[in-house]
Amino acid sequence: MLDPSSTKKKSPTMRIAADIGGTFTDVAAFDETTGKLLLGKTLTTPARLVDGIVEGVQKAGADFADAGVFLHGSTVAINTLLERTGARAALVTTEGFRDVYEIGRVNRPDAYNLFFKKHDPLIERALRFEVKERVLADGTVRIPLEDDDVLRLGAELKRLEIDAVAIMFLHCYRNPEHEARAKRLLEQRYPDMFVSASHELSQEYREFERCSTVVANAYIGPRVRSYLSEMEEQLTACGFEGSLLIVQSTGGLYEADQARSHCVRMLESGPAAGVIGTRTLCHQLGIENAIAFDMGGTTAKAGVIYKGEALTTGAALIGGYERALPIQIAMMDIFEVSAGGGSIARVDETGALRVGPQSAGADPGPACYGLGGTEPTVTDANLALGRLGADRFLGGEMKLDQGAAETALRTRIGQPLNKTMIDAAHGILQIAVTAMSYAVKGVSTERGLDAGDFVLFAYGGAGPLHATAVARELGIRNVIIPRAPGVFSSFGMLFSDLRYDFVRTRLMRLDTAPLEDITGVYATMENEGRAAIAQTSAKQAEVEIRRAADMRYVGQEHAVTVDIPLEVFERGDRAVIKRLFDDTHDLRYGTCAPEEPAEIVSLRSTVSGIMVKPPIEGVTAGTAETPASAFSGSRKVFFAEAGGMIDTPTYARAELLAGNRIAGPALIEEHASTTVLVPGDALQVDHLGNLRITVGDRK
Amino acid sequence: MTSRSVTEARVDPVVTEIIRNGVIAVTEEMKINLMRTAYNVIIYEALDFTVGLFTADGRTVSIGLGLPMFIRGMAETVKAKLKHFGAENLRPGDVLITNDAYTTGSHLNHITITQPVFHDGALIGFTCCMAHWTDIGGTLGTMTTDIYSEGLQIPFLKLYREGHVNQDLIDIIRINVRIPDRAIGDLRAQLTAVRSGEKRFVELLNRYGRDNVLGAIEDIMDHSERAARAHTRSIPDGTYEAESFMDDDGIDIGKRIPIKVRVVVKDDQMTIDLSDVSKQVRGFYNSGLTTGIACCQVAYKCIASPTDYPINDGSFRALETIVPEGRVISALRPAPMRWWMTFPMTIIDTVFKALTPAIPARVIAGHHADLLMGVMNGIDPRSGRFFIGALGPCGGGWGAKRDEDGISATICMNDGDTHNSPVEMMETKYPIVIERHALVPDSGGAGRRRGGLGLEYVVRSSGNINVSTQVERVHCEPWGLEGGLSGRGNRVELIRDDQRVTDLPNAKVLMTRLKAGDGYVMRSGGGGGFGHPAERPTADVRHDVVQGYVSAAAARDLYGVVIDPATFVVDEAATEKMRDAMEKSA
Repeated sequence: MLDPSSTKKKSPTMRIAADIGGTFTDVAAFDETTGKLLLGKTLTTPARLVDGIVEGVQKAGADFADAGVFLHGSTVAINTLLERTGARAALVTTEGFRDVYEIGRVNRPDAYNLFFKKHDPLIERALRFEVKERVLADGTVRIPLEDDDVLRLGAELKRLEIDAVAIMFLHCYRNPEHEARAKRLLEQRYPDMFVSASHELSQEYREFERCSTVVANAYIGPRVRSYLSEMEEQLTACGFEGSLLIVQSTGGLYEADQARSHCVRMLESGPAAGVIGTRTLCHQLGIENAIAFDMGGTTAKAGVIYKGEALTTGAALIGGYERALPIQIAMMDIFEVSAGGGSIARVDETGALRVGPQSAGADPGPACYGLGGTEPTVTDANLALGRLGADRFLGGEMKLDQGAAETALRTRIGQPLNKTMIDAAHGILQIAVTAMSYAVKGVSTERGLDAGDFVLFAYGGAGPLHATAVARELGIRNVIIPRAPGVFSSFGMLFSDLRYDFVRTRLMRLDTAPLEDITGVYATMENEGRAAIAQTSAKQAEVEIRRAADMRYVGQEHAVTVDIPLEVFERGDRAVIKRLFDDTHDLRYGTCAPEEPAEIVSLRSTVSGIMVKPPIEGVTAGTAETPASAFSGSRKVFFAEAGGMIDTPTYARAELLAGNRIAGPALIEEHASTTVLVPGDALQVDHLGNLRITVGDRK
Repeated sequence: MTSRSVTEARVDPVVTEIIRNGVIAVTEEMKINLMRTAYNVIIYEALDFTVGLFTADGRTVSIGLGLPMFIRGMAETVKAKLKHFGAENLRPGDVLITNDAYTTGSHLNHITITQPVFHDGALIGFTCCMAHWTDIGGTLGTMTTDIYSEGLQIPFLKLYREGHVNQDLIDIIRINVRIPDRAIGDLRAQLTAVRSGEKRFVELLNRYGRDNVLGAIEDIMDHSERAARAHTRSIPDGTYEAESFMDDDGIDIGKRIPIKVRVVVKDDQMTIDLSDVSKQVRGFYNSGLTTGIACCQVAYKCIASPTDYPINDGSFRALETIVPEGRVISALRPAPMRWWMTFPMTIIDTVFKALTPAIPARVIAGHHADLLMGVMNGIDPRSGRFFIGALGPCGGGWGAKRDEDGISATICMNDGDTHNSPVEMMETKYPIVIERHALVPDSGGAGRRRGGLGLEYVVRSSGNINVSTQVERVHCEPWGLEGGLSGRGNRVELIRDDQRVTDLPNAKVLMTRLKAGDGYVMRSGGGGGFGHPAERPTADVRHDVVQGYVSAAAARDLYGVVIDPATFVVDEAATEKMRDAMEKSA
């Protein structure tokens, strides 16, 4: 034991999270001893990202020297992929299969468009190579891999000045020896090359998806690697001595060292962290089922919390369905629809009024930004209707041009359709809200669930503005606006856990499956996970293991992921596994066939290092009556329920106390968002400062 | 000819837009529920279905599309059912069923379920779901020459009468199909789909009022009509014709089947005339009248309707179709229909070909136009169990356009969001080893814009199995346009005793026995080129050679570009000389 009187400085107690987006850097800090939550939002500083973080940390009133853990989510991985600014990469495949990456799944979603497009490979055909080797479906070797072939190819890659190599051999999930050896040979000979083998990222069948995954990893690898090194250096220079943890697309955390080789795991960290924040609040508030609704400038996203857990998926498509590149790793299951504050409203050539999918983005932005935008957007409609205050946007830091918004609405929508400017603005919001509600409804229908049974959590800059309207359309009665909805992703990061996801494809019939072998496969995956967690410097409370299996009826194609409690496999209880599968099938598909045999396709295991999570400090308790300091004025706001513009009180959220009640109509304003209560809605501030809204009846 | 102007809208444009999103959500929800609850892979993986919402007189309001070719079959089936029963004989709780091939226009596997929607006691529309059942009885795997050998025929019947199921019919279905539980499972999924559509549509009616919803639907149809007419008006008036052919009908081997189409454009109106398409044939490649109309509508939708407008009745008001009965796409009972989907694709391509002189920037050269499925069965030596499996659909080359190269390795026109099967999955499930899955260099037609590349699978059997292919378009290669060359046709080869059998007369191999170690090759064709190959920029030709899409030999012989295959250096002088000579001869 160390002498407590030694020079070791006091144990760091802060946990700091930073979510770097294209425009803003959001910082959240949490004091583990006091439960105090600090928040800061600042502009992203692209030249030296850490500058933005440092400023955000200062704004929040925290200090790196006190921090034991720094949690980081970044768009560096996704931007490198979407902007195509990655490495000069090459692909190495089994002989006869280098075109798998270009052929893809041959589908053509845009069916009547003769000018349809297909995914655009990250690696051109001239840099896709084959080596003689072949493993069969049962893992046996049909053609052995010769070391000399790999080394000869390596020399060629070096000559071509390749920086990153992706290796994808068929059936490597059954026998990874060839892939692993090829990687080792290349790494030993060319230590500067970023080499990635598909089995390290996915041990699931489907060669195109696995290939696309490993290619994406190699393509973004060198860039992510240098980004993380710079970040570490800069943090050290700021006096930070703790662990740097990165947020994955599952919302789980992993060590920066692991992020250096498994780069694709951090693709969608920001959106995932928001869902983790929602899950955290669900646990604290005793809520089982929730929809996490995140609306920003260009898109609205929805994630689902079901029975207390965030729903994840085993694969996702990156970059628009028609041209998407699949990534076959665990990710938060998030649905996205093109509707945001920047969505443009237009009267098209046939006389129809459309809202989106075009967006004014941040530049030129909505007409009211005064940056040259002339087309009316959802944000302009909100401003014209009084729901946004021209001098209250971003805490008054950005003045909005009310006249420009009204002119755009009047000339582009009102006049062509014979409508008043106000009716045009209200119509735009109605269309946007119903479109979003249909999309959110689809998320639940697809899983066999009824949206009306969920609580809606709304965040993102524009989420609170439209939350109660979306809830009304969905038949949802309860809406929660968390504290600091504008920096909610960074809040979510603070309450995330270390997480490692594993999957192994092993096709077998359940009735004859060797259960001891299955237990062995699980044990291998879980040992790997425990070892990774043991290496982490951050302190954790415990390790938690979850098992699941992808299963289907014999003869079916689609498999469903069935959660299987740990002890069920230990007991070797096939009947229970079958019943769990039947139940899951019934929930998701509305039917099941208990008398039909089932088969296992893949085994999944999630190993989590549960981080210590002291309770969050609550807000000061008050009475039902809001304090005088919270009342910040009133203005005319349009409500269809009231038949027009009516005087509506505004409240400063920062001044609200636990227990305060507010009845609609009202606006609750804070730095980066505004919550709208329509007549009939009722709000109460809970002990953690969340706005809990009971939605009034429709119309 | 004239349509209502903007100011003549029946309903507030805001409400109309909400209803437009709402009726799309109705059919999307039907689609989700069908895919979610269907039992068979053809529905939820190949998306071999369509769901739709229709007005009380059977006009299309919204379609949740699976297969693009189902644009028509369902609407005609709803209208035919309405005519058969009469609106006055439909009651709340009724569900109508049929699989009549000559009404749906396709094979007996397509079961159509229709639910009348009532609101305050009045019939105000229909929800409908057509989906492909794995098996409907009939002979297995061989050629058919009449409809009776293709399985159970269900005429227009009520599956439910005022909420009471017609159990006699269920029992008849069960005894006629090979896997009754799956069939009834799919039937249940279809019922779930039409009922969820009915529920959601009634919610919309209650929320926004019947007059608003029905008025908005009329406005939405007018929008689609207006958009289509505007696009049609931009096509120069004239009569446009083109021809092509199919290899044969699978019975009279080598006897070509002529396709001829005529398109007449006048102002904002188009007529597509298929009178000169071949008479119906003996083999199972026929389809019914509604498919003939669907050929015209799919071609029209691609050419004259912007892709961001939903399909509804208004989309096709400016289109007249002429399809006399008894043609291969308007066949009469008892013509066999099992492989109905192949010929129509070539007819659609031929319409594009006809319109090339009028709108060269909006058409596309020929594509491989076949699903290219390899259907296998036999005993799997690994398990000793009987298996049925399929390789494909392969995807192939699509035609070039005036300003764009063709897309490689993509599913044919009949299908849309249909996926192929991964090699790793097929090798796990079936006793085969796939030695190669690759693009075929030089398969895309040469042109100023090059056609997309086809692909090939080389398959070896690990046991004694049977294989069937029903592949067309070996001899009628995907054509080029405006001087572009044709792509390579589809091919099937067998591998026996390690020897390639390459001299098959066509690509139709039915129930052919392969022993362990034997195999077959499926090779999809490439798309046709657009414009003369000598006009293709040298840099583009060089790029194709560097990437291996075009060989150095083809670059020289077809494009007149002389490239060193090792260094990729272009011999500028030799190239100029060759290209000059090509241009003179052209």
